[in-house]
Amino acid sequence: MAKVAREMVERAGVNVDQLLELLVCNAAAELTTYYYYTILRANLIGLDGETIKEIAEVARIEDRNHFEALVPRIYELGGKLPEDMKEFHDMSACSPAYLPDDPSDIKAMLTVLVEAERCAVRGYTNICNLTAGKDHRTYDLSLSILHEEVEHESWFSEFLGEGPSGHFMRRGETSPFVSKFLR
Amino acid sequence: MKLSLAELAKFDGREGRPAYVAFRGKIHDVSGSFVWRNGRHQAMHEAGADLTEALAQAPHGEDLLQRFPIVGTLAE
Repeated sequence: MAKVAREMVERAGVNVDQLLELLVCNAAAELTTYYYYTILRANLIGLDGETIKEIAEVARIEDRNHFEALVPRIYELGGKLPEDMKEFHDMSACSPAYLPDDPSDIKAMLTVLVEAERCAVRGYTNICNLTAGKDHRTYDLSLSILHEEVEHESWFSEFLGEGPSGHFMRRGETSPFVSKFLR
Repeated sequence: MKLSLAELAKFDGREGRPAYVAFRGKIHDVSGSFVWRNGRHQAMHEAGADLTEALAQAPHGEDLLQRFPIVGTLAE
């Protein structure tokens, strides 16, 4: 725990215990989404499925990166992850991204993916709003994650025909915004 | 069903009780929502309360709440 770092955030008027709960809930959302996206990816087959497999894979890896980036901040502020993985799953800030009843229904798959990303966009917008000008490090981290979640949402949304499209797939490495927290 | 604020507070989603929240006079049942487990939502909100003001600060609109059934109204 970083004692002074927490003290600075508290003095700025942030409810740190509440913030920590939010960070843990969002870390749970990232790790569980990584897990559920693994199953979705495995079912993205055929002409339509293979078309979106690569962006689903990038989103999957970046969501895992978000989990990795969130964990150090949780401990810095004096928080911790639950010891029980089941408890961690159930406190996720977002609903599980379950495989649709018909995995060959690519539109249903995309709807699962885009809803998961939209939940994340809402969550990190909320954390940014709570920490802006008060907890600079959590704000920077949340904003970096938000940048990537917004791009994920755009990718899936545009495949659903919600366009026109101003986005392209990743060029180069994954997590261009969050990578600075992973070094 | 018409509930006062005090009556609404009993539907807090804890210990198996239903989770109800009020918005603009209507009471929604959010018991089935994963993100309202145990009557808590995003570490900041509790079931059994009028969330009309809180929703104005939320990172989503009322459209998400409208997905949940209306089970009553809030008494004036």
